[in-house]
Amino acid sequence: MSAVTPHRPVDPAVLAGQTRENIVVGDEIVRHDRRSRLIHWAVAAFFFLCVFTGMPIWTPLFGWMAHLFGGLSVCRVVHPWAGLAFFLASGAMFFQWVSDMHMEPNERGWLGPKLFQYLRYETEDEDVGKYNGGQKLLFWAAGLGAIGLLLSGLMMWFPQLIPRPLMAFAYLIHDFTFILFGVMIVFHIYLGTAAEPGTFGSMTRGTVTRPWARLHHPRWYREVTGEKPRRG
Amino acid sequence: MAHGLDIRRSSASVWGSLSGMRSVPTVSKYIDTTTCIGCKACEVACQEWNDLKPVATQQVGTYQTLPTLNPEYWNLIRFNERDFDGGIVWLMRKDQCMHCDEPGCLAACPAPGAIVQYDNGIVDVNPDQCIGCKYCETGCPFDVPRFSQTTGKMAKCTLCVDRVTVGLEPACVKSCPTGCLHFGTKEDMVELGHTRVAQLKQTGFANAVLYDPQGVGGTSVVTVLGHGDHPEWYGLPADPHVPLLVKLWKSVLRPIGVVALFGAVVGAFSHYTKFGRKEVRGTDSQDRNLPDA
Repeated sequence: MSAVTPHRPVDPAVLAGQTRENIVVGDEIVRHDRRSRLIHWAVAAFFFLCVFTGMPIWTPLFGWMAHLFGGLSVCRVVHPWAGLAFFLASGAMFFQWVSDMHMEPNERGWLGPKLFQYLRYETEDEDVGKYNGGQKLLFWAAGLGAIGLLLSGLMMWFPQLIPRPLMAFAYLIHDFTFILFGVMIVFHIYLGTAAEPGTFGSMTRGTVTRPWARLHHPRWYREVTGEKPRRG
Repeated sequence: MAHGLDIRRSSASVWGSLSGMRSVPTVSKYIDTTTCIGCKACEVACQEWNDLKPVATQQVGTYQTLPTLNPEYWNLIRFNERDFDGGIVWLMRKDQCMHCDEPGCLAACPAPGAIVQYDNGIVDVNPDQCIGCKYCETGCPFDVPRFSQTTGKMAKCTLCVDRVTVGLEPACVKSCPTGCLHFGTKEDMVELGHTRVAQLKQTGFANAVLYDPQGVGGTSVVTVLGHGDHPEWYGLPADPHVPLLVKLWKSVLRPIGVVALFGAVVGAFSHYTKFGRKEVRGTDSQDRNLPDA
């Protein structure tokens, strides 16, 4: 006579996504397992910590950001450590994803026309795997950027160990790398949220829908589902 | 010159830019290296007036007290020997902040108000605003600012701004026994310097100059050099400038970067207004090549 406890089970796709990815669960596909998502969120969190503690030191135009942390002197103390954490998280992300990120010969054009075709939603490329060429470029650029920011940042942290004329280069490289990084990340976030509905869920629940996968990553969709290429 | 503490320039700020409200003359220290006897009275006076702790001297092979300036030693007589005309010249030069008219430290500093230039030309560090990032080290063409591990801030000569604003001369000048140090308006000190240089030229120092480097807009420390064709003999740069890379960093890359970042945000919005979302079309059943229900 015991009453059945009302029970709302964990969504099976999310449950599977705790440890596995690239699998179909019902109407959904697990795109990123929990480990991948947590690493990416760590990178994002440390990135924004670096941005909000670094930009007020960069220019007083963003001085208001310093107030989030209790002033510029707090930023000056937090920023190098946040930067170190960002680099370590980026390193973890690099090794988590690098095996999927090898550029294929037909992806070269992503540095130029293909990127703009993509942004105009013109591409109908049936050969896009788990990551498209733009995502792979972002991956490699972010890796290079993290190294550039780390090396120049270490020089700025310990200028007494560096010959004086080199220091001005360190400041220039640190700022230049950040500017490129910042522009990339603005578009990365925009495409992953507002521009492409259904994408952000791959970073939260870890899942995407079948139509989403078919539209954005058709070859990955076929690999995961075992379906044949669409005709025509 | 009882006042002069209005701000002429301030680091990382747009305010206080050459206000010119008051009629305050730029002040200057005058150093005549040809009459300096290396007694170091100025070093002691600097330590005493500024309440700086005694510093253990280091043997560097000359009479010099320390190898270089440090955060608790803002005034150092540099001793240099040079072979010259078959003999030796023994040169002494008082090393301290030069109080540039266009200060590289101030240009490099990211903390608003941490480095200021007063209306009277004195360049000063505000410890309460300084964040200890050491950017000013890179900006300075004279290698003057020093980071203090004790305070976590930068420290350097203040040109005794606390004395100057109440009408006194800097402590170093007060202590000098030979009269090789003077203090007054920049105009007067330059005139004194030119008079001394003319005198030196008549007495065998054909290359004597008044060192007031125009690459940094002139300095509020003017120095008479007997061997003016070789400022490097005294440890002075021949033609100091705010480093080009520092100007590139602050005045070129920074505005470009701000525009690029705002441009990226505007570009993303613009893209959305033109192309909208990349919608996922079709139903799940179509997607699986199943007949619609």
